[in-house]
Amino acid sequence: MADNVEAIQKSIKWYIIIGVILIVFSGLTVGLSYVELPTHSLNILVGMILATVKATLVALIFMHLNHERSMIYKILLFTVVLASVLFALFIFSHEDPLQFSGFYAPVEQQ
Amino acid sequence: MDIPYTVHARPDTGLYNAKIGIWLFLASEVMLFGGLFSAYIFLRVGADYPWPVHDLDVTLGFINTVVLIASSVTVVMAWAMLKLRKFGWYRINMAITVICAGVFMFNKSLEYKAKFAHYAVKLTDGTLLTGHLPHGYHVKFEGVSELNITVPLKTSGVSADPVNHVLPFIEGTAPKFKTEDGKEISLDEASFEALSADASKNAADAKKSSAAIKLVATAPINFAVKPSDIFGYTDTTITFRDGTTATGKLVDDKMTLEVDGVDARGVAQSEKSLAFDHRYLGEAWQKAFVENRDHHITKFEKDYPTRDKTRSATLQKESLFFKLNSAEPPAAGAAHGDAHGAEAHAPAEGHGGAHAHHPTVVLEKKDITFFSNFTPKLNTYYAIYFTLTGLHGLHVIAGALVLLYFLAFDGKRLRQDPEHLANRVEVGGLFWHFVDLVWIFLFPLLYLL
Repeated sequence: MADNVEAIQKSIKWYIIIGVILIVFSGLTVGLSYVELPTHSLNILVGMILATVKATLVALIFMHLNHERSMIYKILLFTVVLASVLFALFIFSHEDPLQFSGFYAPVEQQ
Repeated sequence: MDIPYTVHARPDTGLYNAKIGIWLFLASEVMLFGGLFSAYIFLRVGADYPWPVHDLDVTLGFINTVVLIASSVTVVMAWAMLKLRKFGWYRINMAITVICAGVFMFNKSLEYKAKFAHYAVKLTDGTLLTGHLPHGYHVKFEGVSELNITVPLKTSGVSADPVNHVLPFIEGTAPKFKTEDGKEISLDEASFEALSADASKNAADAKKSSAAIKLVATAPINFAVKPSDIFGYTDTTITFRDGTTATGKLVDDKMTLEVDGVDARGVAQSEKSLAFDHRYLGEAWQKAFVENRDHHITKFEKDYPTRDKTRSATLQKESLFFKLNSAEPPAAGAAHGDAHGAEAHAPAEGHGGAHAHHPTVVLEKKDITFFSNFTPKLNTYYAIYFTLTGLHGLHVIAGALVLLYFLAFDGKRLRQDPEHLANRVEVGGLFWHFVDLVWIFLFPLLYLL
């Protein structure tokens, strides 16, 4: 924990720099969402990667996780594992397959 | 009694208690929002309609993103200033954080308000029209002379309550009613109670399962009801939500819609969409639609010659979800349509410039299968959008209130024990950063992708 004066003084500069980086990344995300990649899933992947980078910056620097005690890391390990399971549940939806039939079949209008 | 370890660290954990507490709480919040995000994934993958992309106001969403990021910076700065005992800067940063929260919620209220006033109407051929209802949408009945009320004798899900389910929708003041035995009453809670008790007793004696009460109006009644206010209607009868029926004449159930979009993605042959029927938008708009569609398809074929057109959600949307931005079709030509065609109506005053340039159509009930404003009941996308952003908004309000409390009411602690206040602000700030984290994922997922 940044308890001494110099460490906090140094962090202040970083808080502002990271803030600007976050805003730039947000603008980047907006711009990239209008660029059509070969599939929309790629767009989603790019968007989520950018979001994860931003989230990591907030968590590490704003939330002081870069120099936190091990107790907190232990709590967060549980969180990461359980949240991953929550999202991985989606994989089981493939047991119940949904066929992509175009946006409303029939769509042969051209 | 002093709460221990609010300032100094506990020897075994190395942290003050609130720090562990808040991280445990944030861990549970991750599961809360994680569950909703997981629901979003399921709903999106399972959707049987084109999932809306860029349908929300991206500019307003981006402003909110910048505002929330700025507030994240100021809240951690407030903590740092407090640790450095720079109380003036502490207060300023906290104040900016709370103001940013206010701006965020204000923008959100603008978004929600616009959505509630915007309608989507699905037609029988699968076309979706979007637009505004400048005069609302009411079903008009005239010449109703009697009410037929059925009071069930056993407890039932539907029990007669004409005072709350019929009276409010009478145009003008309600007339007096004559009961079957000639008594004239005005219908209110007390008189209906008496009537109902009487009829029920008679029906019970006759071993019937329900009591029928007929009330004849002393003057003919007119109704103007929203479809959601009644159970159903035919050309001659309305059935109210409590089971009461009234016989009269259906005068008008047409919907006047100011159209700002035609979504033909659900129609087999888009140019033959019911929206371009001569009664509605007409040929000139149909031509404009076809031009726009073909232009986008040609451009896509040129830019991406190897890609499958049916798999590009963006192309489907650009070519088939046609936005109408003027009262007259762009290359209008001579065909100005007949009386039901695309007429330039000046909208109701309350709407201002934003919808001043849209054609108005008068839709017949038989062509409409479903309509709703942009609320959770429209489709699963809006259901999850409002759930996620609504719950997030509540978290913003809660976080802002906590930070406001520290700013406004902890003056004594500021003077006497600033280290304790710094820890409180740090913990409140951690919650605030979590709220920002959720928005960092929400914004791209809902607004951009």
